[in-house]
Amino acid sequence: MLIPDAMNRVLIAGPKKMQKSVIRELHKLKIIHIVEHSRNELADIGAPLENAGKLSEILVKVRALIAEMNLKKEDDFISNRPMQELSEVEAEVNKLNEEIRAKSEEIKKIEELTAKETAIRQELEILKDVNINLEDIANYKTLAYFHGHLRDESKLLALKNELQKATKKFMILDAEAKGKRFVILFVDVKHKDHANLILSKLDFAAVNFVYISSLSGNASANLKETEKRLLVYETEKKRIAEQINLLGQKNKSMLWSYEKFLGGELEKAEAPLKFAATKSTFLIKGWIPKNELNLAAEKLKQATNDTLFIHYEDAKKNDKVPIKLNNPRSIKPFEFFLDMYTMPTHKEFDPTFFLFLTFPLLFGFMLGDFGYGIVTLITFILLKGFIPKARNFFNILIFASVATIFFGLLFGEFFGYEHIGSFELPQILSRSHQIQQLMYLAVAVGILHINLGLVIGFFNELKSHGLMHAVFAKLGWIVLQIGIALLALSYFNFLSIPLYVGIIFFVLSLIMLFKGEGIKGLIELPGIFSNTLSYARLMAIGLSSVKLAEVINESAGEMFHGNIFLILTGVLLLVIGHIINIGLGIMGSFLHSLRLHYVEFFTKFFEGGAKKYAPFGENK
Amino acid sequence: MAMDLSTGLIALSSAVAIATSAFAAAWAEKAIGVAAIGAMAEKEELFGKGLILTVIPETIVIFGLVIAIMILGIAG
Repeated sequence: MLIPDAMNRVLIAGPKKMQKSVIRELHKLKIIHIVEHSRNELADIGAPLENAGKLSEILVKVRALIAEMNLKKEDDFISNRPMQELSEVEAEVNKLNEEIRAKSEEIKKIEELTAKETAIRQELEILKDVNINLEDIANYKTLAYFHGHLRDESKLLALKNELQKATKKFMILDAEAKGKRFVILFVDVKHKDHANLILSKLDFAAVNFVYISSLSGNASANLKETEKRLLVYETEKKRIAEQINLLGQKNKSMLWSYEKFLGGELEKAEAPLKFAATKSTFLIKGWIPKNELNLAAEKLKQATNDTLFIHYEDAKKNDKVPIKLNNPRSIKPFEFFLDMYTMPTHKEFDPTFFLFLTFPLLFGFMLGDFGYGIVTLITFILLKGFIPKARNFFNILIFASVATIFFGLLFGEFFGYEHIGSFELPQILSRSHQIQQLMYLAVAVGILHINLGLVIGFFNELKSHGLMHAVFAKLGWIVLQIGIALLALSYFNFLSIPLYVGIIFFVLSLIMLFKGEGIKGLIELPGIFSNTLSYARLMAIGLSSVKLAEVINESAGEMFHGNIFLILTGVLLLVIGHIINIGLGIMGSFLHSLRLHYVEFFTKFFEGGAKKYAPFGENK
Repeated sequence: MAMDLSTGLIALSSAVAIATSAFAAAWAEKAIGVAAIGAMAEKEELFGKGLILTVIPETIVIFGLVIAIMILGIAG
């Protein structure tokens, strides 16, 4: 529980012709954490098996199909039946791929047509109220034409007046379009430049028609046709999309099963890339849990007619051993916190058990309300059922909720009240009235927690660096705390011992820390104070939660003296207020409890940095 | 309720302790939060680490609160 599983370094060497069966066997055993070989002058890395290229090609197709049809993965329909030949899989995937490809092609064509038709519609909409045939908008020998927008009626009038001064040979067609005046002006070619000048003076915005040049007849009739065509395209597109969707639903299970199968096969085919290889041999380096080693060796020998060389040895001190944590079921959820932080090395204690012990306690200390605890407990038990993926997370919170109920009883709090009806809740400490005491208690918890960390650190150092180093580096901090406590107690006359006793302890601790951790230890001296004081957050977070609850209760309580409407508002305020407060409380308590562990607790003993044990063949 | 000047000053100084340290904590969290969001945009799994890192400077305001309570303790 406190120590990760022991690992053995393993070397497996054999002739190339056995490589495939070794890989197959190892993949089935799911036992070896392979250490990648890096190319050196002695041995190159291996070459992937011959079917790797084909496999990845099909896998890419399968994944593309899954992504294109947006097929969600549901574990229960992935079959584990033995797969047929690769060529069959390939044929099936290719067939489906072509079908889908053809349909996507169709959709693409329709989309192009739709885009063109939409552009035509846009232009026709401008022209729909102008009484002219589309083919008539063209250049004539004697006539020039302009079309575009004028701001309003008055500009149109001005245009007419100005033109009349120059010539009689012009014609204006106009219509309302999007709040502006759309104008088509035909004018005698001789006066083209003059007309242009007038138009630009009137802020004329010319419109270019690109798509409708080939059309004839009047605009509104054309518009109707266009809209009809657009509708046809849309229904057609929907029909094909529906077909694709159906195909997707039909093949969902097959595709995901292939994805899994091909993924596994590809992993096997590419495994030699991690091996060392010579012309005719291969060498696998890796780690296997000690207690499973014999079985694995036996199986491998069977599969290869005893042609393998298998060497194993215990992990040495400075080896980079992958870590397989080993905790009982009830503690396992707390490994989640280490996944988020880092894995312990094989020389260290696995801190999961301590997280299990103290995380819920610190959480409960902060949230600390009997009513809130019950609400969160029920919520998390329900949520655990609904979201099985986050089971570990909710298990942690369930432990934390139980601790919350426990502390709620100690503090005698029920939804911020210190009484239920007229029944005064028994309490050991009132959080809302004994703030100073609460702070001392919080710091005391901090001192306990930090010293627990130092003690664990002592044993860690003992294991990795020997007794003297452990005493200097870890006990030094404890001596320092004793020294400071004695100094403070004698200074304030709580203890009748001379001041120099404290000073002796203090100086002694400085020497120990300097010997144990060097100058770095001395620089970090103030750290122990800020770390201890940091536990005052146990009081701060809790206090803010209590006070908020009291504010909610008081303001709702006042409303209960009013009429029915006020009473209902009061009830609403109570419910919403406490829901928000519980939400904030959970988040605050969770984060801060976690932070106290990561920053204050772990730094006293935990180094970490190891890789997680990831056996070859295990699903990621 | 008549209150003498020294009580007022004590209350005021404890308010200053909270306010300045809260401002400092917020400032620090701002910088970390921005970086955390940036990192999350690249790699979504970093949410957990980002969240933890973001609450780290909260210690500053807790020190402020401790000082404020101690100052109020002087006032009795």
